[in-house]
Amino acid sequence: MADALTQLGFASWLSVLIASIIKVTLILVGGSVGMMFLTWYERRSISYMQDRRGPNRVGPQGLLQPISEAIKTMTKEDATPRDADKIVHFLAPVVMLGATVLSFAVIPWGRMFPVDLNAAVLFVIATGGLHSIGMMMAGWGSNNKFALLGGMRGVAQLISYEIPQVMAIIPVVLMTGSMSLQKIVEAQNDFAGLGWYVFSPVGLLGFALFFTASLAEGERTPFDIPEADSEIIAGYMTEYSGMKFAVFYLSNYMSNLAVCFITATLYLGGGNGPGVDALGGIAGGLLSLIYFLLKSFALFFVMVLIRATVPRLRVDQLMSFAWKFLLPLVLVNILSASFWVALLRWDQQWPKLTEWFGAPSTADATNWGRLAIAIVLTLLINAGAVALIMRLTNRNVQKHLYTTDEELALGLS
Amino acid sequence: MLKTEELQINIGPQHPSTHGVFRMLVTVDGETLVDLKPVFGYLHRNHEQLGEVNTYLQNMPFTDRLDYFNSMVNNHAYARTVETLAGVEVPERAQYIRVIMDELSRILNHATAMGFMLGDMGAWQTALLWGMREREKILDMFEYVSGARMMCNYCRFGGVVRDIDDWFITELKKLMQGLPHYFDDFEGLLLNSEILLARARNIGVLPKELALAYSVTGPVLRGSGVAYDIRKAEPYAVYDRFKFKVPVGTVGDVYDRFLVRIAEMRESYKILEQALEQLPDATGGFINPKVKQQSLKAPAGEAYARVESPKGELGFYVVSDGTGSAYRYKVRAPSFINLSALADMCKGYTIADVVVILGSIDIVMGEVDR
Repeated sequence: MADALTQLGFASWLSVLIASIIKVTLILVGGSVGMMFLTWYERRSISYMQDRRGPNRVGPQGLLQPISEAIKTMTKEDATPRDADKIVHFLAPVVMLGATVLSFAVIPWGRMFPVDLNAAVLFVIATGGLHSIGMMMAGWGSNNKFALLGGMRGVAQLISYEIPQVMAIIPVVLMTGSMSLQKIVEAQNDFAGLGWYVFSPVGLLGFALFFTASLAEGERTPFDIPEADSEIIAGYMTEYSGMKFAVFYLSNYMSNLAVCFITATLYLGGGNGPGVDALGGIAGGLLSLIYFLLKSFALFFVMVLIRATVPRLRVDQLMSFAWKFLLPLVLVNILSASFWVALLRWDQQWPKLTEWFGAPSTADATNWGRLAIAIVLTLLINAGAVALIMRLTNRNVQKHLYTTDEELALGLS
Repeated sequence: MLKTEELQINIGPQHPSTHGVFRMLVTVDGETLVDLKPVFGYLHRNHEQLGEVNTYLQNMPFTDRLDYFNSMVNNHAYARTVETLAGVEVPERAQYIRVIMDELSRILNHATAMGFMLGDMGAWQTALLWGMREREKILDMFEYVSGARMMCNYCRFGGVVRDIDDWFITELKKLMQGLPHYFDDFEGLLLNSEILLARARNIGVLPKELALAYSVTGPVLRGSGVAYDIRKAEPYAVYDRFKFKVPVGTVGDVYDRFLVRIAEMRESYKILEQALEQLPDATGGFINPKVKQQSLKAPAGEAYARVESPKGELGFYVVSDGTGSAYRYKVRAPSFINLSALADMCKGYTIADVVVILGSIDIVMGEVDR
């Protein structure tokens, strides 16, 4: 963008400045408007699952409801507990929101990239990790036992979930050979824009694992433990009201949005889809944006469905799920990703190997024979691992016997 | 080993999942519960004292406010006590009407109670609102017969205040057509959910002996494996004419109580079907015309009568000195007595479990505090 501005005759420093301001504004506005739409979308769709209408009074189909909510929260009293650590209490929502907004810097909107970092994946993970600081600050600074419990839970949860989440990305990085989100999206553009990683066995398992871990990261049901309203009221947010509470809320939904965007980018091909390359130019870019948003909101709909259905896990069950279920599967997935890369790309990735063993029969990336072998091999590894771990976790699903014996009922048995 | 400090937390009286103004003084070590002390009385409103001042009929609407989910059952139990005391005959049609109302109450109570319990568990309102949907339909029926949705004040000594008509019966049949779908939907939603199993199985175990020692009744007792149901043990009204089973759990955990309640809804449905079939025509009357409702005087003596309320054994104990109001009036509220087992059920589990266990007991604070 800066280049285009320089060509228009702006001084180079000015064009960089203007471009940055435009980008920052777009990121901030895009994130917040996305979050507003998200709250409406969640409430409305969850209402239909529960046989009710949901917000439908403010604006067409209730679309302006988030704005009225925003006005409501902004005009509410902003109360700080007397014994709270005032500075920490004030800073906690800022840290939370700041961490979330940072991650929006690298998220591609279709094929439009605000910033193309060469380690964007790492950057996203790092900003996600900052959340735990905000939570702990809120939990500790509020001087409230429920808030403290919530903050502790949040930190414990994030620490356990970062590991499977980060490691679930490794297969994607291996398959692409880069940590840049742009490269990852480009790598999924084979087969007329449908070469998404989710269609390979490695990507499918990786997608499931990453998305599950991300639910915990975004504090969504069944992992909404840090803010479990039925247990610890609102967790670390208990002592927040007015705009500060709204900022927490904003940050939560924006990070959920970010999670959906990242998942769509990593596994569902980002803005790739049939017709994007054919159109090209601005039209292609818009189409890619539409594809990208559709994928992301479909992912968010899955989150909503989960929220409307299942209860939440207990905090210890969550830990054991992360360490005993997700982590082994993630490790196996990295193994099969390595096989995948070795079979498909060893000539490209490791020239040394080609030197030693000679080039594979054909160096073509879409060699169907090699692709078939890779798919079968990774499918076997992954399916075997999933089956094994399902058996090992010993779920013992048989129901309780409940006798309905009429004779028993004649008195105390 | 790390040295940890125990933390005292007040869950309640203002808390999303204490089902009213109820306080649990909880001592936790991290997330694990060390001690729990239930504190109640916030809703105390002199119910039993009022019962000794009011005339017998005046007290009828007060019983609505005990377990405000099942005012029909409360009315039934109170009316039965005074009828026993005063020796009042009840026409058969009135008995059937009371049974129909009781079983409808049981369905609405269990539907919402299980919804609330799943809500406590974190299933965001879906199960609850599905239950509420059925409850609304039943409350509409109650409103039609009694004029009020929740505070029905429907029973009178020797019968009920208003007869049910053909419209009610056709509407009830329509409602009942939808009920099995609701039961199936509700079971299909979560019964075999991995997370529900993890959260409910072997949680809040109440062994059979302990349950009997606490004189726990209702689905909580049956979940612990004791097949004790007053409808079978001491058939009142016309319950001996219906074929139904008493579901019993095996372990006594939250999941068993959950299963027992779902099975009980299905059994209630069967009772409703049979009651509608056997319902006598209106010739026998729906109320004993000889009873002077306003100025009922019971002969000196005492009476205790009980019914199987959806929450357990609901009994009223009334002592009369021959005047128009009770000399002594006492309510045996199932929620209160079931609640006394809470601390023993919760010890050793986590905070997250405590709210679920409390939800699985199914308490109504209006009845606990009186």
